[in-house]
Amino acid sequence: MAARISVTGMGVICAIGNNLPSVLDSLRNGRSGIRPMKYLQSRHSELPVGEVQMSNEQMKQLLGISDPAPVSRTSLMGAIAIREALAQAAVGSLSGKRVALISGTTVGGMDVTELYFEQMKSDDSLLYLPQSNDCGKSTDEMARMAGLEGARTCTISTACSSALNSIILGAEMLARDEVDIVIAGGSEALSRFHLNGFNTLMILDHEPCRPFDATRAGLNLGEGAGFLVLEKDAGERSLAYVAGYGNRCDAFHQTASSENGEGAFLAMSDALAMAALQPEDIQYVNAHGTGTPNNDPSESQALKRLFGEKLPEISSTKGFTGHTTSASGSIEAIFCILAMRDGFIPANLGFSTADPGCILPSKGRGEACLENVICNAFGFGGNDSSLILSSREPRERETGAQYEVETAADLCISDPEALKDLKEFNISPMESRRMGKLMKASQLSALKALQAAGVDCPDAIITATAHGMLETSLQFLEEIEANGEEHLKPTLFMQSTHNTLSSAIAIRKRCHGYNITYSHGERSMEWAMLDASRLIATGKAQSVLVGHYDESTPLFDMFASRAGKAAPKPLYARSVVLKRK
Amino acid sequence: MNNMEELIVGLKEQIIDALNLEEITPEDIDNEAPLFGEGLGLDSIDALELIVILDKFYGIKLANPAEGKAIFKNINTIADYIAKNRTK
Repeated sequence: MAARISVTGMGVICAIGNNLPSVLDSLRNGRSGIRPMKYLQSRHSELPVGEVQMSNEQMKQLLGISDPAPVSRTSLMGAIAIREALAQAAVGSLSGKRVALISGTTVGGMDVTELYFEQMKSDDSLLYLPQSNDCGKSTDEMARMAGLEGARTCTISTACSSALNSIILGAEMLARDEVDIVIAGGSEALSRFHLNGFNTLMILDHEPCRPFDATRAGLNLGEGAGFLVLEKDAGERSLAYVAGYGNRCDAFHQTASSENGEGAFLAMSDALAMAALQPEDIQYVNAHGTGTPNNDPSESQALKRLFGEKLPEISSTKGFTGHTTSASGSIEAIFCILAMRDGFIPANLGFSTADPGCILPSKGRGEACLENVICNAFGFGGNDSSLILSSREPRERETGAQYEVETAADLCISDPEALKDLKEFNISPMESRRMGKLMKASQLSALKALQAAGVDCPDAIITATAHGMLETSLQFLEEIEANGEEHLKPTLFMQSTHNTLSSAIAIRKRCHGYNITYSHGERSMEWAMLDASRLIATGKAQSVLVGHYDESTPLFDMFASRAGKAAPKPLYARSVVLKRK
Repeated sequence: MNNMEELIVGLKEQIIDALNLEEITPEDIDNEAPLFGEGLGLDSIDALELIVILDKFYGIKLANPAEGKAIFKNINTIADYIAKNRTK
């Protein structure tokens, strides 16, 4: 089996434009979309943001939705971008075709959940919100609004690399002939939840961000959606080719990147190797470049390790859009394709003073010939991914030999009493003091499964979770309500991203391999097992740890019982180790 | 107990609570022992929690986490800083 994966359509909505032509115009003319807060209702209006310049009502109008019920901005923006991408790809009727919609998000429908959080506790008419606003449901909602009812839907949640990982999964599924057409990308709306979360980490700049600049003081949060239509062997309809990619884990810290940028270096190296390219074949890198004191030197170090003295032109476009978090990977991949097709290099807005610890970013160029470009997206927990897009047809890729898969361990922890066994694995009270119940259960279950399988560091770690660390997330939400967005605890926020469980295992075992988190409701584990089997079958991994971790809380049980649904399991931590037979 | 001693006891309780130091009592924390690295072994997230304590209980706002480095050396340095800068 061999295949070339093409991008045949793109759709984008972000702070610098609501569609491809306006985004291209802003990129070419160096027009930033970072402005004072207008749509998000937050007490921290002093923070500049990269908001999409449309209200939810205007988005609904654009999509022809007349139902007045509140809908998440994440779904609305996603549907707008998907529709634009499908129109550009001109795929025609989708009936009879195997279609998959893969979206990356972390916040999901949190923007509406937080608006109605207090009312939900008593108002039955809002009960659909807690049932419909997890990550997976927001993707299903997008599919419905974009007219993709028949598509298989999947949601990836690896924090700020989510959308790039969606593209990678889509390309893998096409290469293995599991689908005919993939729509892959991500969507993330601004919410009080993650604005306050990033604020507790003190990494938000009160001025427009300045990636790679000596005076940089943090990031500006942005929002938006970007989706790409991917097809196999699309010939003339191809806008660009997906030539290579890498997904690696920095395995260093939940909210900080390592000094030498190990995860980023490995992800870019994998992408180059897969594309069969040398560093000098790359003309441009769209850096993750968030503008935080920690990210930029770490990424610079990784770039210097890969390229040596001869760095290609590099810029971060976060000065245009702000950091669109889970959507950044696909939005910036679209920027890369626009730059390749229109022949220019986007500026690194906000830069003026060089930092000896960072790369010297490009000022932007009106004319450039780009054949191969790298797009980076790195997330909390060290979920680092890198994508290579090419204007030229890459060599046909072999999809590898077939290996058989066997289960080496499969166990489940659901009794909170069992968590005291963590001591057996040398996890000190100083370490476990911050871990929520589900974090403890996932660690214990993973460590036990690895021990039973005789595997120390698996080649890949794949996690499935419908709600992630629900208890911690709800606690953070309650605190936002109770404290009026002041005095919030960073400890709660850092555990609220869905990928925190997967990356915590990687950090403990120092596993720098493939690392991903699926968050698609009850089908999360199905997607995780499919991915694990695919990695082993294609020879990319010999051992994979797959975890399915979820918990419930009294408040969540109450929502379920009022909605007439069965109460979710209070604690569930299943770990499976798969091996090549 | 003089004012400073009172402040220190209260501060230690706030720290134990905010940092979930379940198995530690105020008496276990030496006023001169380093809080980060050696000693208690706190990390960068704990430093952010300490910044929340300064704001929440003493009305002191630090704009830049880097400022915390000198202030959070040990219990005595934090108490001194609070005594000099508190607004509540």
